[in-house]
Amino acid sequence: MALVISIPGLVRLAIVRDPDELLRVNDAGTVTRPLSGRGGLFNRSVAAKLAAFRTADGDIWPAFRDRYDPLRAVHQAKLESRLSNVEPLLQDIAPEITELGNYVGGGHAHRGMGVVVQQAVGRLFFADYVASEESYEAARTLQAWLSAWPLRACWIKHSGALKASLDRIEAASRGNMACAHATALALENLVMSIELMRELARHGDNLAKIEPQEAAIRTLRAPARVVRETRDGDFIGTLRLRSRTLILLALEDAHQQDAAKLGFAFFTGTWNQCPAHGLVPTLLRKVWEGAKTSAERRA
Amino acid sequence: MSRENDGFVFHRGLLQGVLDIVFRAINFFARWDHLPTLLAAANLSVFRDRLREHNLHHTGYGTTSPGWSTGNERWRSADGSFNSLDHPRMGMAGARFGRNFPLPECVPDSGNDLLDPSPRVISQELLARHTFIPATSINLLAAAWIQFETHNWFSHGLPKPGNEFKIPLPPGDDWPEEELIDGCMKIRRTVCDGSTREPWLGATPTFRNLNSHWWDAGQIYGSSRERQMQIRSGVDGKIAVGNDGMLPADPDHQGADLTGFNDNWWVGLGLLHNLFAREHNVICDGLKTRYPTWGDEELFQRARLINAALIAKIHTVEWTPGILGHPALDLSMHANWSGIPNRVLRAVLGKDSEAAYGIIGSPTDQHSAPYAMTEEFTAVYRLHPLVPDKMEVRKLDTTDSKSYDLVDMQGRASRAFMQTHGFVDLLYSFGTAHPGAIRLHNYPNFLRKFTKDEQPLLDVAAIDIMRDRERGVPRYNRFRELVGKKRVTTFEEITSIPGAARKMRAIYKGDVDRVDLMVGLLAEDLPDGFGFSDTAFRIFILMASRRLKSDRFFTDDYRAEVYTDFGLDWIQNNGMKSVLLRHVPQLGPALEGVNNSFAPWNVSGG
Repeated sequence: MALVISIPGLVRLAIVRDPDELLRVNDAGTVTRPLSGRGGLFNRSVAAKLAAFRTADGDIWPAFRDRYDPLRAVHQAKLESRLSNVEPLLQDIAPEITELGNYVGGGHAHRGMGVVVQQAVGRLFFADYVASEESYEAARTLQAWLSAWPLRACWIKHSGALKASLDRIEAASRGNMACAHATALALENLVMSIELMRELARHGDNLAKIEPQEAAIRTLRAPARVVRETRDGDFIGTLRLRSRTLILLALEDAHQQDAAKLGFAFFTGTWNQCPAHGLVPTLLRKVWEGAKTSAERRA
Repeated sequence: MSRENDGFVFHRGLLQGVLDIVFRAINFFARWDHLPTLLAAANLSVFRDRLREHNLHHTGYGTTSPGWSTGNERWRSADGSFNSLDHPRMGMAGARFGRNFPLPECVPDSGNDLLDPSPRVISQELLARHTFIPATSINLLAAAWIQFETHNWFSHGLPKPGNEFKIPLPPGDDWPEEELIDGCMKIRRTVCDGSTREPWLGATPTFRNLNSHWWDAGQIYGSSRERQMQIRSGVDGKIAVGNDGMLPADPDHQGADLTGFNDNWWVGLGLLHNLFAREHNVICDGLKTRYPTWGDEELFQRARLINAALIAKIHTVEWTPGILGHPALDLSMHANWSGIPNRVLRAVLGKDSEAAYGIIGSPTDQHSAPYAMTEEFTAVYRLHPLVPDKMEVRKLDTTDSKSYDLVDMQGRASRAFMQTHGFVDLLYSFGTAHPGAIRLHNYPNFLRKFTKDEQPLLDVAAIDIMRDRERGVPRYNRFRELVGKKRVTTFEEITSIPGAARKMRAIYKGDVDRVDLMVGLLAEDLPDGFGFSDTAFRIFILMASRRLKSDRFFTDDYRAEVYTDFGLDWIQNNGMKSVLLRHVPQLGPALEGVNNSFAPWNVSGG
């Protein structure tokens, strides 16, 4: 059952953890992606953070496009079709996969693992995408912006770091909003998964014992929270949500309740399924295989 | 916001900021309409500033840049382009409707939610007129007037067949079998906007206004050069009229007069179009006397400017206080036009203050978005309950009167009806009849089963409901919230009309957030003296001022070089009563002692 918190003027919030309930809420007609900022100060601050993810001409990042936005559906279908060609795409980023495999296998990294992940993700969109410490730092800043407490958020905004990071990510993505989203926000989960893989590999003879598929299941991480808002009050199943309730879909918590279902982490089968739902698990398997190879070579 | 709004940003002054805080505190304890007149008027001004800051949203222009024509800098172009010389597409015919709410709020319901509850059931259960409820403070000319004005401001165009909404009918519905499609009532969709969508529009649907958005009397003069040339006589700037002094017939629109915009034609529109065509021609005569060297074009365009401004003035200082009979409104609307007649306040507030000197002649300002009529504005102007089903036609020189069905005074029958009963007697009849009150259970029944050329049989009440839904206008409760009012939590909070809350609860299955905008507006309890709801009025506060403030010809260019001294005097010294008496002096006794021409006139004894 969802946790609902309502303090007039401060917050109107529902946290949904149960997988079935989460899917029901995600699919409800009255639940929207764009946030109005109404409902309390907390709601307003979260909405203000998401409002930053617009391009200079007002274009909207794909993860913040509403369900019935015709462009969202078009972009999603186009990207999904492109990313469904998994094997050739992974061939294109074979050097990065090898580098990540080496890292997971305990090898020494010549550059930050996050940078490698960012470059791998970026090259799924542009063959010549080059990530750097600066571009990865920009991604980290944007991730921090979304989860920062008010003082830090204020610093990120007023120091100019937010604007600079957005500019850097958008420039590197050459106006491709899906690339910007992937190389700034979505890569956070991939980085976390690679770190978990390295942890997993370090313990005993896990690297030799655990199959790639199993490793992918154990380490795949979904976004911790996905935000939504109810425009009007409604009952969703037995859950009563008042109008302008900010909804936190605790996706990772829900995913961990049945981690074997990899699709859950990507909202597979729903209107907002991640176009990379087929690619990421395969990428993780390849990285694990690469780690095995790397460890064997060193041995 | 500024990025989407084409760079326009609202600039709040210090005084406005302070007043905003003060009135938030005051409104915590008292509604604006319960305050003393001066305070209430100041409260309305604060509402307007808030709305100017938060409730103007650009949807793109949706049209290409028009070409420059000689005279665009001095007078109104036919299609409304170049009103803003920096943004020539702003407000021109064919440009998109804007929005009063953030775009993500203006997304239609999906799938079955769009048709729920059935608009036909709402039409039958909540809107159908059982007995006529009159609005006794105004006359029927006021009803015709608002249609005359909306025909100036907007038209979504005539819906085309194909992909109709299919509205399931309740058991026992007598909707004719031959009109059904798959057993359902069909409602054609609004003409879609085929222009390229900007990526930031998101899921918000856009529609284009066939008419110019400006307050330019486009209903008389048309919204294209071609139409303008059709209605002109070609001599001395005048509009073509027949030997009987009446507008000629439109060869392409049977029963309608040849005028700028004559959709949904009926006798009420015929009266006002004829009246202001005559006014135009008289203005031309006045200009010709003073400027004998001016040719047809110059005379026509200058007379248009003057006539359009006079119509705007009548609407602002006569029609509006007539239908919204609150002393604060009377003060505010006069202040909108000519400022507050108080020397101290004028000195304190300064020359550019629209409160002190009026919007007319003040600097042009678009506030937070390029000027455009909005979908929400069209939604709150669904005032069909004003139309009665029957009307008494009186004769000025006798006590005779006879009742006629409105349906026989419209469409193809309009001109014949006018010829039979005469311009003078019909004007008199309109002035002495009451329109319907804008309430639930008062929707004209003939419009609920209405035949219109080239359209299927129409239930206009059901169509009104569907139009708001398909255009993504928020439903009533969210609409309230977005115009700065509290959401209601029960049906009883909306209305005290006996039985209405119970019926609404049953139709909307207990969900007050699902109440349709038009139903909520018609059900809402009204402030004292008001003819329509306070919620609708919030949009009105914003847009009524905006039509003036955004228009260069009412602001920066409201000056003698553009209007002529004669023109400025004409606007200053005339009103509806003087226009009526100039062209129909026989109405003298009927209008004697009547302060507002939209209030009921005297019924003479013959």
